[in-house]
Amino acid sequence: MMTGETFLSVAVQAAMGMLLVGMVMVLFRLAKGPGAADRVIAMDLLSVLVVAFLVVLSIHTRKTSYMDVAIAYACIAFLGTIALVRFIHRASVQKQLRQKQKTPARPLPDHSGEKNHD
Amino acid sequence: MIEYISGLLVIIGSFFCLVASVGLIRLPDVLTRMHAATKAGSLGAGLLVTAHALLYPQLGISLRAVTIVALLLFTAPVAAHLIGRTAYRSGEALSDRTWIDELKGQNNALDDHPPSD
Amino acid sequence: MPLFILNIFLAAVLMVLTGSGSISVFFLGFALGYVILWVTSPLYPQTRYFKKLPKVLSLVLYFLKELLVSNLRVLWEVITPRHISRPGIIGVPLSARTDLEIFMVANLLSLTPGTLSVDLSEDRKILFVHVMFLEDAQAAKAGIKNGLEKRVLEVMQP
Repeated sequence: MMTGETFLSVAVQAAMGMLLVGMVMVLFRLAKGPGAADRVIAMDLLSVLVVAFLVVLSIHTRKTSYMDVAIAYACIAFLGTIALVRFIHRASVQKQLRQKQKTPARPLPDHSGEKNHD
Repeated sequence: MIEYISGLLVIIGSFFCLVASVGLIRLPDVLTRMHAATKAGSLGAGLLVTAHALLYPQLGISLRAVTIVALLLFTAPVAAHLIGRTAYRSGEALSDRTWIDELKGQNNALDDHPPSD
Repeated sequence: MPLFILNIFLAAVLMVLTGSGSISVFFLGFALGYVILWVTSPLYPQTRYFKKLPKVLSLVLYFLKELLVSNLRVLWEVITPRHISRPGIIGVPLSARTDLEIFMVANLLSLTPGTLSVDLSEDRKILFVHVMFLEDAQAAKAGIKNGLEKRVLEVMQP
């Protein structure tokens, strides 16, 4: 019969293994994902997995200050997801506008005539 | 005793996280992937945080745990809604198992003006 | 809702009295404080606190039950080799009117796996929901309206 301490440490190690396998799968989707939205979802899930891993790490090392790291990470990851979604939204709006107006993509600004200020 | 309960919670929570990642690999299109990713992931992380709060019942640490759960539960649906709406409106393909789509032809054109910011 | 603050204050008093700063003592103090306030309820004639808190609790419990059950369905869909889901997007007519009500309904729907709010119609009367296991569109609409939305509106509306 296992004592509580041993059971907990075994459980924590199994959890760390499962979370790492999950992160590898998410990275696979991040690399392969057919569309940009798939990649954003993968980034989102990756940040949730990192938060989960930080909590498990906090149980494992008995240092509760990892929880603060997890809080900060959860905040920043949300902002990152929102920024990426705005970016996709803007790109697809411009694509639809181009299809609607049947005009070619906006040409890159021509800097060849400008003087170099450095 | 408390170690057994929280050990069990740790295993179940990380299993849900693993299921979320497998779902991200296996499910056919963006919206169904989001079902697995955002919610199973949040539930798994929530269970892990609960296990941590059971192990460390001091008020300061429990409040941190509550903060993490609240952050995850508030941000997950907002992010999911944004991603889903943008993906649908920018014309990501739905899987061919989708058999009813009442949103089609409603207003799934993007805004006429690109966002200025 | 001053009674709610009073209740939290009673819980804090119990924590100070016992001298332990654990979260379980806080919940015990909250429950005891609720009982105390309920016993002395003739003192507060026009409060809705005693009607509202059970409704909030029933919403939370219903939400947790939905969360677990539908997470298990998604889990089954993911780990079995054959796909059994038949996803679809349905438009649910909303009874919620204000911003906060629509926000609560859409977010709680998004949080339960199996349903995901995708879009809101221009006149804010129809919420488009992506459902993962859709057998009968009318039944799913009625389920969302009578299950989650009704409970949310009971809590939000006086």
